Amino acid sequence: MTTTAKPRTTRLTYNRTIGVAGMQGRGFYYPWSVAVAADGTYFILGRGSDSDPRGVRMVAMNLEEEYFGTFGSFGEGSGQAIWNASTAIDSQQRLFTSDDHLNRILVRTLEGELLDTWGESGTDEGKLNGPTGLAFNSKDELLVSDHLNGRIQKFTIDGKHLSTIGEFGSGDGQLNLPWGLHVDGDDNLYVADWGNDRIVKFSSDGEFLANFGSVGRGEGEFDAPSDVCVDSDGYIYVADWGNQRIQVLDAGGGFVQQNEGQATISKWAQDFLDTNVEESAARDASDLDMDLVFNTDDPHERSAHIEKLFWGPTSIAIDNDGHVLVVDSNRHRLQVFNVVTAG
Amino acid sequence: MASKDVKLMAHLMRRAGFGASRERLDELVEQGYDETVESLLSAVDRPTRMTDNLIRRYHPEYSGMMGNQSPSGNWMYRMVSTDAPLREKVGLMWHGMFATGYSKLANGKVLHDQIRMFERHGMGSFKNLLTELSRDPAMIVWLDNSENHNGSVNENYGRELLELFSMGVGNYTEQDVKEAARAFTGWTIGNTEYMTLKSARDSVWPYGRLSFHFEYKEHDHDSGEKEFLGHKGNLNGEDIIDIICEQPATAAFLSRHMYSFFVADEPPVPEWPYKEPRDPEAIAALSKVYFDSDYNVEETLRFLFKSDFFKSEGAHYQRVKSPAELVAGVLRLTGEFDRPKVDMNPTNLQSTYMGQWLLNPPSVEGWHWGTEWIDSGALVERVNFASERLGNIESPGVQTLIDRILSDGNGGMNAEELIERALDELSVSDISYKTRSALVEFAEVQVNQSDSGKPGPEQVANVLKLVGATPEFQRA
Repeated sequence: MTTTAKPRTTRLTYNRTIGVAGMQGRGFYYPWSVAVAADGTYFILGRGSDSDPRGVRMVAMNLEEEYFGTFGSFGEGSGQAIWNASTAIDSQQRLFTSDDHLNRILVRTLEGELLDTWGESGTDEGKLNGPTGLAFNSKDELLVSDHLNGRIQKFTIDGKHLSTIGEFGSGDGQLNLPWGLHVDGDDNLYVADWGNDRIVKFSSDGEFLANFGSVGRGEGEFDAPSDVCVDSDGYIYVADWGNQRIQVLDAGGGFVQQNEGQATISKWAQDFLDTNVEESAARDASDLDMDLVFNTDDPHERSAHIEKLFWGPTSIAIDNDGHVLVVDSNRHRLQVFNVVTAG
Repeated sequence: MASKDVKLMAHLMRRAGFGASRERLDELVEQGYDETVESLLSAVDRPTRMTDNLIRRYHPEYSGMMGNQSPSGNWMYRMVSTDAPLREKVGLMWHGMFATGYSKLANGKVLHDQIRMFERHGMGSFKNLLTELSRDPAMIVWLDNSENHNGSVNENYGRELLELFSMGVGNYTEQDVKEAARAFTGWTIGNTEYMTLKSARDSVWPYGRLSFHFEYKEHDHDSGEKEFLGHKGNLNGEDIIDIICEQPATAAFLSRHMYSFFVADEPPVPEWPYKEPRDPEAIAALSKVYFDSDYNVEETLRFLFKSDFFKSEGAHYQRVKSPAELVAGVLRLTGEFDRPKVDMNPTNLQSTYMGQWLLNPPSVEGWHWGTEWIDSGALVERVNFASERLGNIESPGVQTLIDRILSDGNGGMNAEELIERALDELSVSDISYKTRSALVEFAEVQVNQSDSGKPGPEQVANVLKLVGATPEFQRA
């Protein structure tokens, strides 16, 4: 019997890499989430390191790696954060960030001026226990992944509780440590259900609609997905965090494509190499795309060795020009892809 | 007062693990001693409750490992949460013996990889472990085998392999060191120049750390004839390890390490050539098992845990807990890290303040264990840490301890009974008269503070704090 390979659709092609490791100024120290402003500016939220919190900040830049500045810092004071978790921008161009240690939401202007702080720790409705993913719907209502409470909560922009979606568990409509969120053009909510290794889709009023994927390393399977976004054609892009890859699904959840990362040298990275000639020469003489055998099937190990691969893709978003942005956290950069449309 | 069986089980769990709650000890006594030993030995593949994904999600630094605290913080999570504690204890033993450090490597991931290698191979054949160690990228850079070339020998790894990792001083010649080093020429890491340059410069640019991988470079290997410990031929590294493992000196050296780590503190290794082992018969018996089992570590440990010299009450509390063991043991009792929390980094640093910065030993010789852990500064840190954590009434494990202690005193509890219950719950036995008297005196003050004649949670927590400060709690 002969079989015919299923024709593959290419939805994504690699465009470029932006960013570089850096604790101050240009660069990221464990970037964690990205949001795109109406003028096209990328706001990249840093998680930082527990032993060196300089990376706990926001960096503003664009696709061409123009650097616009940075704000935010580590701490429990006004406007500070301990564990930056996610960022989103509302229609009025206010910048929201979540902190899953301090259980609060910060609201700023795009210039970094603090406008508001809200959030109260707890398990009752309206209270937060580990707010991570953020997303706005068309009414400028903020959806918050209240991850340790196993639910998504909807708030007004000033923190008034509106409704609750999901509950802890593994059944339909239930969630286990949910992380990234996305709201599509019809206000359907997509949740990266990290602990259940799947994407969950809810209607605008919180009704369960579908689960996409199950645990595994195969096509259409996930290991602890961290984030999700959907384009205007309904294609679903998943940061398949534990599998160190991104996957593209069609609107019905069918597998379309995966990509393990193709990073190249960014402009900021090139600037570093240009001024560090000895390191650059040693790098040029190296093979950084080796064919190695590992003692584990955990893709984390491969990504630790092969520099071009995703290593901790924590966030995925689409910019105003249709590029898919992937925050490649452990490599302190973003990998950027083009969306290939039919025709 | 704890029964003899409970005392013995507590002894086993302090040595083959990080201690156990009184409730758990009762379960294990019910299971039986030999069965518990088998369960500890066979649990090495059991996954930890704190999975890699959980740790990595909250602490990207424990995943990307750019800084010098990351591999030890990651390891502390595993020690605190594992259901296979012997795996981590054996890892600690090998880390003490094959000490490798961040200070030279500036790469936490390769150190983390070495500990994982100990977890995979640390209970199998010692021969295989030495082979894996010789191929380990962290060890290769730490002891300069990446600089050991055909025609330009660097003796560092060859020397330490014999002196610190297998036979001990006095059992080989300088010529043997040279020949061993020649045999390991060509055993290096891939992209040697770039990786060692990044380490030397502590460079995280452009895109963070890159893991190292082993590479054997045939063209850089000295394939000429060598003579090592009386064996002649075109010897490679594997041949050297074969010969080393056949030596009685290796059996004795390894046995003394195992005895010192699991049975009773021995003097620091540099003193071994001049000081007899504490129990030469035990070393001889362990050496025999080493040979009979074809150098198998698990078999040697099985014999050790079931031996009279291990079970003897004379061996109880004959080890000073290393800082990492103390921190992990206390945190397992308090249960405060039931999930990843931001406090792990400062908590893990406590081990450093007490003198043991995991994955960053003071030298290739590692740490001096035993009473050398307790200088005046370190003792204050140890006592403060144990007391503070055991007295934190907010910790779930402390709440459980308090509930269990108070559940026995429905009709009231005097100071003596309170101390007895606290010692029992913390599995501290064989306490000195002086220590007990001081504890009871303190407990009387606590009991008298209560109008009901029965201590409340605060008073019990204060007693737990003081028990954490006793010399007996600081020992294993």
